[in-house]
Amino acid sequence: MATTSEAARFRHISPAEFFAKYKEIAGFGNPSRAMYQTVRELVENALDATDSHGILPNIKIIISRPASSTSSNHYTITVEDNGIGIPPQHVPNAFGKVLFSSKYVQRQTRGMFGLGVKAAIIYAQKTTGEPVEVVTSTIGSKRIYYFKIKIDLAKNEPIIVERGSWRKSREWHGTIASLTIEGDWGRSARRLIIEYIKRTAVVTPYANIVFVTPDKQVYFFKRTINKLPPPPKEVKPHPRGIDLTFIKDLIKSTKKDTVKDMLVKNLQGVGDKIAEDALRLAGIDPNKSPHKLSDDEIKRLVAVLRGIDPDYLYRLQGSVGEKTVAEAISENIVGIKYEQAIAAAKEAGIDPQRLYAELSEEEIDSLAKALKRFYPRYKAPSSESLSPLGEEIIIEGLKRIYHPEFVAATTRRPSAYQGHPFIVEVGIAYGGKIPSRNRPQLLRYANKIPLLRESSDDISWKVVMGLSSRRAAAEIDKDKAMREFWSQYGVEFPAPLVVLTHICSTKIPFTGVGKESIADVPEIERELRLGLMDVARKLKRYLTQKKLEAEKKRRVIVLAKYIPEVTRSLTIIAKDIFGNGIEEKLRNKLIELAAHRIGIEQEEVKEIVDSVETGV
Amino acid sequence: MSVSSVDKRVREHGIRLFREKFGKIVKNILENKPPVLLIPKRTLSNTIYDEKNKMLLLGPEYLRRSFFDMNEAKKFMQTMLMASIIYDALVNNEYPTIRDIYYRGKHTIRVKKKGMRMEEENTWDKQSESDSVIRDIEVYLGILREELLILSKEKGKVVGNMRIRSGDDVIDLSRMGHGAYSIEPTPDLIEFLDVDAEFVLVVEKDAVFQQLHRYGFWKKYKAILITSAGQPDRATRRFVRRLNDELGLPVYILADSDPYGWYIYSVFKIGSITLSYESERLATPAARFIGVNMTDVFGTSILNINKLKKKLPPDIVEAISKLPPKKPYLSERERRNYIIKAKPKDVERAIELCGYDVADACLGNVRDEKIRKAIRGKEGIPGYPWFRKPEWIRELCIFFHTLAKLEIEAIASKGLRFLADKYIPQKIETGDWIT
Ligand SMILES: Nc1ncnc2c1ncn2[C@@H]1O[C@H](COP(=O)(O)OP(=O)(O)O)[C@@H](O)[C@H]1O
Ligand SMILES: [Mg+2]
Repeated sequence: MATTSEAARFRHISPAEFFAKYKEIAGFGNPSRAMYQTVRELVENALDATDSHGILPNIKIIISRPASSTSSNHYTITVEDNGIGIPPQHVPNAFGKVLFSSKYVQRQTRGMFGLGVKAAIIYAQKTTGEPVEVVTSTIGSKRIYYFKIKIDLAKNEPIIVERGSWRKSREWHGTIASLTIEGDWGRSARRLIIEYIKRTAVVTPYANIVFVTPDKQVYFFKRTINKLPPPPKEVKPHPRGIDLTFIKDLIKSTKKDTVKDMLVKNLQGVGDKIAEDALRLAGIDPNKSPHKLSDDEIKRLVAVLRGIDPDYLYRLQGSVGEKTVAEAISENIVGIKYEQAIAAAKEAGIDPQRLYAELSEEEIDSLAKALKRFYPRYKAPSSESLSPLGEEIIIEGLKRIYHPEFVAATTRRPSAYQGHPFIVEVGIAYGGKIPSRNRPQLLRYANKIPLLRESSDDISWKVVMGLSSRRAAAEIDKDKAMREFWSQYGVEFPAPLVVLTHICSTKIPFTGVGKESIADVPEIERELRLGLMDVARKLKRYLTQKKLEAEKKRRVIVLAKYIPEVTRSLTIIAKDIFGNGIEEKLRNKLIELAAHRIGIEQEEVKEIVDSVETGV
Repeated sequence: MSVSSVDKRVREHGIRLFREKFGKIVKNILENKPPVLLIPKRTLSNTIYDEKNKMLLLGPEYLRRSFFDMNEAKKFMQTMLMASIIYDALVNNEYPTIRDIYYRGKHTIRVKKKGMRMEEENTWDKQSESDSVIRDIEVYLGILREELLILSKEKGKVVGNMRIRSGDDVIDLSRMGHGAYSIEPTPDLIEFLDVDAEFVLVVEKDAVFQQLHRYGFWKKYKAILITSAGQPDRATRRFVRRLNDELGLPVYILADSDPYGWYIYSVFKIGSITLSYESERLATPAARFIGVNMTDVFGTSILNINKLKKKLPPDIVEAISKLPPKKPYLSERERRNYIIKAKPKDVERAIELCGYDVADACLGNVRDEKIRKAIRGKEGIPGYPWFRKPEWIRELCIFFHTLAKLEIEAIASKGLRFLADKYIPQKIETGDWIT
């Protein structure tokens, strides 16, 4: 359109409008996906409002066809929880203003950005025109509040269509949110939603979950354990994980007079000493007012705080041209002088006068290590903000859904990548009611949220398939690698095998906007691999034991079942030599010898011998 | 019931043997040693042709049958069960047949334990299974089942100028009228009293036996006349062996001129290939095949020695060429009336006896596709050593060359007198037989 003016093209659009326009980005591309996404947003909010606050969740999910509606593809999705509820003054923004959230803090929750439920509300509004209905009451509140809210897309503001409140007659707290959207209950939507709820149930054995489908089918997952995962604590961000926006926002809101105080107050593990070191490296006076920092100073500060990043050093190879190592480092790494660059290069065993672009990957890695000496050292990011499920809950959850004969789980020690703490958990379930398949059935979770799509891009998939690196994955016969990997642990496919992976972190490294698969981060891959090996070894031990037991049982039966006949027969000959008591003696002796031979209790052999009937 | 003293003795011997061998097993068990049986292996690979004694014997291999070996447990149980049945019969003065034994031992073993699938199996299912266990007992105890008074149907018959003691009775085998004495299943219990005979003639066919008997052959020629009525049973073989062994009588076998007849001769002489353990007591290595020979029918001029040179080892061809030539007993016309065409099965059997190379050297142009296929299937078969003699190779060579077989009746057709007074006596006199 030639007539469109520049101004019109770059017009500012509100976040609400943005999501109304690009609904696929939030997962509302078609009615079937929209149904699934809506259920997800509501359920995850409901769980955040309960288990993150120490409440054993009771969640009810109802999808129905609204009686009043003329269209057959309209569905009402209602999710009720027994959570902390929402104070009435926040309800309009929570449901009517995109990017409004109570979870903007450094701790692990399912929702994070204040986006989720509003995307669903916008979708509902655009397809059926219906507002969201919210009934909520906080703990200790005497009243129950009721709202119907729409969103003013242009202004990104809530429109309260209706509101009211009444006295609580019973001790109830929690939230009921209800949305009517244009949806789909076809085969694929149904499968996806049921799978989502089932997988949610796997990691929430401490929750009662009821799901009523539009066809009035009821799924009930009963609570099997009364223990909650420890609620995540709020922590300050770790300096390695910060970015420019974060520092700029901080400067805007801080009440501190000096940059140093600002850093000490707001960053994890940063005391006076580290703050001073960092500011010196960045060439900033520690006592400077935060508001007086120049853009360049802010950039340098962020660079120093984030520390030496090997990735950045690699990327640098492409932009430094004919520069030597010493030049490239001193000119590009904040706070590193020419002499220091030379010292670091030598320490790394590299001639400082070589061309920087010609360094090998290993040399860059050693160089990065040597350079770290000049930068502040931090403690590893605190993992208190994380809320792993714990081995007991994973085991309980796998049991409740799969009824396996063997189950094991492991929670790895906290670790960190790029300043973000994370914990990997791996569970394994085998046999029982699990159907045999040609591959392991993989259940992936990030921050307790099931990841259902784009599984083959996921790092967990790679690890569970026994592939060691992305390149290898492309070249080798994947199935063969998978079979070989698992056969080390005594599993031969088809096998009844379920593997669960859970990654929790304050920042999950998703591969794309779809947020359905986790990227190849070496630190995470390592933890996944170690975790998987741990549970797989346990499985192997179990399988070996089981095989031995089965073999023993078979042997006991084979030998024991003939003992009466052999005794009887030998006695016919032997009683003429040894006398009449020989039968009893022979029998006991044979039982004893058989038990000894197989390596089991005599009692076990005797039981079978006693159960033998010999015809005549 | 009056039991013969001989039976009593045998019984007591059997009972002792069982007590000794199985008592040892019980003793071992009581001394905490796992129950194990060491049984000579009855497999073809453990069968040895003893050149010196000209018999098939069991080799030195033993089978360790351990009750605690998963794969042997059932066999072990069956062996114990069988031992108890035979022992029980011995003690109770019974004479079970192998079929009786099969039924006595066959029952169900059932494991019925709570929380376990019920398991059910029979001690044995088919008689062949229990028969095989009887054979194990025989080799384990080193005794034949007849000596354990296990009976089978009587098949062999004998007449002749001799008296024997069977049980507590004395029987005159020259006073059997038109009938004959049925060789009892336990010929070892027979006592030879007095004998007036010069040789033993064993006739494969019962009908020919009866003809010769009624003709008075045995009286006239001082023979002990025996028939095995087809494939010889163990009793007949043992009886013949004893006549040869103990009385020094030469034994002549008269059978059809076909692979089946030759095999019957082989069983008398060497033993049966699958049951080699019995040979030591049953085989008569000195038995002579008196006829009917292929050379009796066709003569020797039918053979082309030069043709044989191409495919057979020179020493064999040389030996064949040195054999005395023979004229046929039958004329061209007589022959034509009685010759039967060989079937593929016959050709296969013949190759098994004497080896593929003989067939290959002697066969003419074979048109029958089925026979050609049968021959091809036997390529590389070496043949049994006792058939690799020039005399036998000459016989079989004529068989392959003519693909014809002939029954004894063909000779008898020239008249019983011819058979009894000419054919047999002349052959004995001139030494026209093969060993
Ligand atoms: N069921 C609920 N119980 C309590 N609070 C809720 C519930 N649903 C939504 N909220 C509040 O509304 C906010 C916005 O929700 P949402 O748009 O899904 O964003 P997010 O979950 O990312 O914070 C949440 O942060 C929470 O404070
Ligand atoms: Mg949310």
